Amino acid sequence: MREKLFDILNRAQGELNMVVNKDQLADFKVKFLGKQGELTSVLRGMRDVAPEDRPKIGALINDVREKIENAYAEKEENFNRLELEKELAKSALDITEPGKNHEKGALHPTTRMFNKMIDICVAMGFKVVEGPEIELDYYNFEGLNIPKNHPSRDMQDTFFITDNILLRSQTSSVQVRSMEKIKPPFKIISPGRVYRNDSDATHSPVFHQLEALVVDENVSMSDLKAMLTDIMKKIFGEETKIRFRPSFFPFTEPSVEVDVSCPTCNGKGCKICKGTGYLELLGAGIVNPKVLEMSGIDSKKYRGFAFGFGVDRFAMVFDGITDLRNMFRNDIRFLKQIK
Amino acid sequence: MKVTYKWLKDFVDIDMPAEMLASKLTNAGMEVEEIIYLNEHLHHVVVGKILKIEKHPNADKLQVCQVDIGKQIVQIITSATNIFQGAVVPVSLEGADLVNGVKIAKSKLRGVDSDGMFCSGEELGIDDNFMPGASINGILILPDDFIIGQDIDVALGLDDVVFDVGITPNRPDCMSVIGLAREVCAVTGAKFKKPNLSYKESSIKNDMSVELKSEKCSRYMAAVLKNVKIERSPLKIRQRLFAVGIKPINTIVDLTNYVLVEMGQPMHAFDQSFIEGRKIVVRDAVRGEKLAVLNHNTYVLDSSDLVIADSKKPMVIAGVIGGTNSCISNETRDAVIESAVFDLKAIRLTSKKIGVRTDSSARYSKGVYFHSAEDGLKRFLNLAYSLGVGDICQGIVDKNRGTCELRVIKAKAKNINAILGTNISVNDMVTILNSLQIPTKLESDTMIVNVPDFREDLENEYDIAEEVIRIYGYDVYDRGEAREAYLGWKLTQGDYSKKVLLERKIKEALKYSGFFEAMNYSFIPPDSVTKLMLTDNRRFMIKIANPIGEELSCMRTSLAHSMLSSLAYNFSVGNKEVRLFESGKTFHPNALPLTELPIETNKISMGAYDITFAEFKACVENAITETGLSYKLVRSKEPFLHPGVSADVVDDNGEIYASFGQVHPTVAKNYNIPKTSMFAEIDLDKLLTLPEKKFVIKQVPKFPIVDRDLAIVVKEEISNADLESAIRSACGKIFYDVKLFDVYRNKTLGDGLKSMAYNIRLANEDKTLTDEEVTETIAKVLKALKFRYGASLR
Repeated sequence: MREKLFDILNRAQGELNMVVNKDQLADFKVKFLGKQGELTSVLRGMRDVAPEDRPKIGALINDVREKIENAYAEKEENFNRLELEKELAKSALDITEPGKNHEKGALHPTTRMFNKMIDICVAMGFKVVEGPEIELDYYNFEGLNIPKNHPSRDMQDTFFITDNILLRSQTSSVQVRSMEKIKPPFKIISPGRVYRNDSDATHSPVFHQLEALVVDENVSMSDLKAMLTDIMKKIFGEETKIRFRPSFFPFTEPSVEVDVSCPTCNGKGCKICKGTGYLELLGAGIVNPKVLEMSGIDSKKYRGFAFGFGVDRFAMVFDGITDLRNMFRNDIRFLKQIK
Repeated sequence: MKVTYKWLKDFVDIDMPAEMLASKLTNAGMEVEEIIYLNEHLHHVVVGKILKIEKHPNADKLQVCQVDIGKQIVQIITSATNIFQGAVVPVSLEGADLVNGVKIAKSKLRGVDSDGMFCSGEELGIDDNFMPGASINGILILPDDFIIGQDIDVALGLDDVVFDVGITPNRPDCMSVIGLAREVCAVTGAKFKKPNLSYKESSIKNDMSVELKSEKCSRYMAAVLKNVKIERSPLKIRQRLFAVGIKPINTIVDLTNYVLVEMGQPMHAFDQSFIEGRKIVVRDAVRGEKLAVLNHNTYVLDSSDLVIADSKKPMVIAGVIGGTNSCISNETRDAVIESAVFDLKAIRLTSKKIGVRTDSSARYSKGVYFHSAEDGLKRFLNLAYSLGVGDICQGIVDKNRGTCELRVIKAKAKNINAILGTNISVNDMVTILNSLQIPTKLESDTMIVNVPDFREDLENEYDIAEEVIRIYGYDVYDRGEAREAYLGWKLTQGDYSKKVLLERKIKEALKYSGFFEAMNYSFIPPDSVTKLMLTDNRRFMIKIANPIGEELSCMRTSLAHSMLSSLAYNFSVGNKEVRLFESGKTFHPNALPLTELPIETNKISMGAYDITFAEFKACVENAITETGLSYKLVRSKEPFLHPGVSADVVDDNGEIYASFGQVHPTVAKNYNIPKTSMFAEIDLDKLLTLPEKKFVIKQVPKFPIVDRDLAIVVKEEISNADLESAIRSACGKIFYDVKLFDVYRNKTLGDGLKSMAYNIRLANEDKTLTDEEVTETIAKVLKALKFRYGASLR
């Protein structure tokens, strides 16, 4: 009996080594471990074993069965692993083939700059207000201290629809509309599209502005400088510096041009800033008290400041776009570069 | 405004590099846009005298000249024919770099040494207007009194620098040499030298009279010069006019221009013999009145125009341009000089209307002040007297509507510092204002600012604050001298607005659907409505009165033209798989021409080619489902869309929120875009009226979901939406989901038939479904589909 069992174990181990596929492995299982298998038949022969030897033989049978089963399981595991590896190898893809469905699109550089500016200003407590693009003369000019036939009208070539209706040349028109409605203190920004009758390599008749207006009891030029510095740093980075130069806008007094240190060369001077280290990027100033009064705000009590960004220009500087025509041509070969 | 450094020095004692002065002016708000060195190309050129001329031994056409250039004698070889022994000429020597790009070096010409070259006027950058003989094709022969050996720039008075200064509209006073000189005083601290206004009158009486008949003229002054010499002006006058870009003409005309530049006062000169009745009448033009003027045109005037007339005829379109009937000519003996103040609005209007812009109208359009008429005329007479141009008659005729009042602004340093956020001392403020020639004194803590009439822009403390800070310097904020920022500010709440947020959401959705954002002008051509085959009131577009061109003359009523044009551009350059969107306004007039502001609507358009309808539709739906819209699709009636391959997104009331689909083949042809191009227009404003997206959360099924696939054959015209809805209602309470997963068309099915395969999912909230329930339900579905749509099982 004992010899028989060792013989089975030896043969089983020998045969298992010869197994090369899953079918043979199944046959092996039937032959040695199955219901009609060799081990079972040995077990059936227990009847003939002397009762005192039975526990020993039983233990031996179990031991042999365990050994064969383990060897079998190991072999099966091995086959499964090989099979999976084969399958994985077979299903490998060319990972360098282009992604399917569609590639991601992109927002226009101007929109991205708008979003950036609006995010910064809203976080600073500004409220977004919008107004019509076709506007009354009053809101675009007269309410901003630019009377009819006044020399300061020459600063902007305006598109007219009728004598009194025009395409707004500045989003300041929205500020006049807002001041009539809301009570100070307030901070508002008016993003939007504006129009000027000017079209060449560096001027587009359609462009975009974001104007900000702060009205409170105690605002000053110093606050304006501080706030603009904060905003510019958030747009162009912590290193950014700004400087004021006196200028003229009818609705602010004093008025300044704001130069921003060139983000391309960090103020060292390069082609983009024509070697000056600075870019003339926006206009700002203390709101002319006449403008506040015209909109029904007590200029004795309140003071305001305003600043206006040319958003397209900011976007061009930010993204390093040198040709203005790209901004309105909608060539996807251009748009795809700014994803 | 162009001004020369030397001219400025007539009124202010300064001596600093031109760049330094330019930078100081720019920092004070007088932006120097360009610095032009008049002698940039005149170095190494001197005045020489030809001592001897000999024939060149080896060349017939060349001559060898010995030339005295002061310190030495040089030898110059020339082919010029207009030279002669004793002629004074410009000689360019080794190192010269002439205006035409010629660089001079010592050389040998046919074996003989030449030390340089004689110059023509052109090579020095001057012409006959500047100096007689400068325009001829030959060597410039200089006057005999030129100093031999002197540098030519000094000899010609071109050792000067021109500053081109951008003057802001609030500072018309700086459109003059003296105005800028005042600024120079303030930025340098130098003293202001007043212009010389003195002259001696002859014994002849002023025989002119003036009548003011129009409100548009507040002051009219006239002086008379008898026995004038009409000739070329002295070199200094011509040099300066040349430098600032004004063509010299003759003594009288040049002096009026000289005073215009120097004093900022436009003037006009008449030939007195043509003034009927020796009387000038300043009046509104009579409607239909005609005047031939110096630009060779004749203009028909109306009552909004102001004219200077005599008793019979108009002679000048006031402030704009003179008539040919009374101008100064070489025969003029007696001249009348006008110096006046006209209403700037009237001059602007006339100048604009007739399209004539002169130095005079440009100046008047910005505003001329009361005293400048007098100072200007007196300066003219001073120059005329010192140059001996003619006999100045006694007395100036001065007709005006009252003198101007002296204005005083009382300003407190405390208030100015509050505006500026600075701590500038009151003494510094007073010094700055006085240096700007604005007489200011301190009375206790109040500055009494006496505003000169040339500073009409100064009205209140804010204006004074600007004068102070622009001279004091904006770098005050960088030097830590300014007040702490944001002191005492009230907190305000930031707000994006609903529109900005929704627009952003939709744009982001489109971006992730693979669309690129386009931007187009809001202007479209008039024929676009025809190209789009529009039939509704979108045909009526608002027209711009002064468009850039016909192509850009109308305000768009749909974004379709812009988008299809962008597709066309991309297609024309061979771009593939183009997907674009644009967000913008459309403009809808209530009536044309506009009497009130039009309705403006925020829209988002999408356009694409190399894309299927199904793919495009999914992208549109991704975008609109950013809102709480519950919608269905119906066939679109948009005329520019393919009637069978387009849809409107509508709510239960039939309100259209978007239209999309394949572009109508005719329209696709009109725009030269692929036939299968897709277009969508989404009405952002309508989506904004919807309440925010709300979700109805259903229980996640607790019991297993049962799937059944069902393929049926129906007629082509039966829509998926109808079938799905029938399946849904036939399933009743245990309906969970339905999805079309295959559509199959084949001749074997029969003509006009299609097979639709659905995956139907069933679930019961309370228990596991039995086979019987499922079979029963599917049978019900089939029955319903058969009954309502004639469907049969495939």
